[in-house]
Amino acid sequence: MTSLKAKSVNFFFLPVNQLERKLVSILGSIGQVTIIYFYTLKFIFQGRIDLQEIFKQSYSIGVKSFFVVSITALFTGFAMSLQISRELVLFGADTSIGGVVSLALIREIGPITAGVMVAGRVGSSIAAELTTMMITEQIDALKIMKIDPVEYLVVPRYMAGILMMPILSIYAMAVGLIAGIIVAQVAANVAPATFLDSVQQTILDRDFEVHFLKSFINATIIIIFSCNIGLHTRGGAEDVGIATTRAVVWSMTGIFIANYIVTALTYVPR
Amino acid sequence: MVENNNNRQMLKVTRLQKSFGDREILKDVSFSVKAGETLGIIGPSGCGKSTILKLLCNLIDPDGGEIYKYSDDISLVFQGSALLNSLTVKENLALALRNKNYTKKEQDEIIQDKLNLVGLGKFANSYPAQLSGGQQKRTSFARAIVIDPKIIFYDEPTTGLDPILSTVIEDYILTLSDKLHAASIVVTHQQSTWSRTTDRLILLHAGTIKWEGSPAEALKSEDPYMKQFAMCSRDGPMQVG
Repeated sequence: MTSLKAKSVNFFFLPVNQLERKLVSILGSIGQVTIIYFYTLKFIFQGRIDLQEIFKQSYSIGVKSFFVVSITALFTGFAMSLQISRELVLFGADTSIGGVVSLALIREIGPITAGVMVAGRVGSSIAAELTTMMITEQIDALKIMKIDPVEYLVVPRYMAGILMMPILSIYAMAVGLIAGIIVAQVAANVAPATFLDSVQQTILDRDFEVHFLKSFINATIIIIFSCNIGLHTRGGAEDVGIATTRAVVWSMTGIFIANYIVTALTYVPR
Repeated sequence: MVENNNNRQMLKVTRLQKSFGDREILKDVSFSVKAGETLGIIGPSGCGKSTILKLLCNLIDPDGGEIYKYSDDISLVFQGSALLNSLTVKENLALALRNKNYTKKEQDEIIQDKLNLVGLGKFANSYPAQLSGGQQKRTSFARAIVIDPKIIFYDEPTTGLDPILSTVIEDYILTLSDKLHAASIVVTHQQSTWSRTTDRLILLHAGTIKWEGSPAEALKSEDPYMKQFAMCSRDGPMQVG
């Protein structure tokens, strides 16, 4: 009878205990991310940066991502432009297609598309690489050689990320815009000149500022989250897969949340 | 803690304690190592041998006790080599010299010298993945000695190697001990390794030192723990959990 009672009490508190554990785990992760980011910035401001490694990482993070970003941005641009063209043509506002498409691209689609693709391709790769290095004691070897893993591994990736992400985002926007011009011409018979004229009238300098701010934040989220997961995972081969998944999921979640917050904070009615 | 080296004692550990969660790994471990001496830490799997090395290398913090290191120049030869796969053999060694004030030429000379010492002079530009297991192990040796350490640790240096390669690695440990005159700790459960390479042994079990003596004494010991370990017997006070 006693054990039954104990079991019911446990059962009653089970969700509370699980919630408590989850909350502690999330707070712990936030703490780890904050510490890694703090040390990353500290090393950057101290000038402890390896230019050769930054160049190598820029190639890996940026140049190698161009293909996937091109494909994603192209088809996102096609689909979005098709939807917008059809709706605006119904209202006789076909000359505004360029403005609406470019506004969506510069404010949301460009940074999000590049961010999501880099999170999938680069975030997963960083988490897998660093987790493997943890498991095979390569990180311990660095520490014994008096090399700080944050300085050696995180700083070059972060620098490469914040350099390449704005380029990828603006590139994604440009590709989406080209897709928009093609679709507007084919589906709504809007001439490229009319499309571009509408773009010019709609886009403001402020939109570019927000675009670059989002790109910078996305790069920070992807690189710091992925490095943090990689540097705090222990175990075996199975944990490499788990770390990779966690890096992608948390990076993408972070990107979407941050994107909304930046949009909300920077939104000013025209 | 680092102090001046006066009495040639390079490493001293007193009343070391470490637990992981509820599991007490080290309860009360004390020992010291002099320059040029090789101490063997032996014991069954899970007795805390590798934990001691991690504590000595500051990779984890002890729960209690004191560790005195009389030099900052320490190196560890890892069980699994732990070479950085994205770097060449030469770059792996250069990493250890990163914080030293050597010119590029001096650095290259030191690296080549150490690679020649382990018979890998021709492999400077190879990547770890292009090397055999034995060559990776030897590269790990070269990386560990490139800074001319005063204290050097070996974590299971011959585990998983064939008997011939084990002998080669044991010979390297002996050679390095002579050349560097460093204080060495060899963590192993391979009888040939501890009997050939060490001057003194401590047998660890259940978080405490159960026996201490020379390798020759170990082989003749009537102590139930040491006898069981030396005879590779399943009958004795150390039970497989």
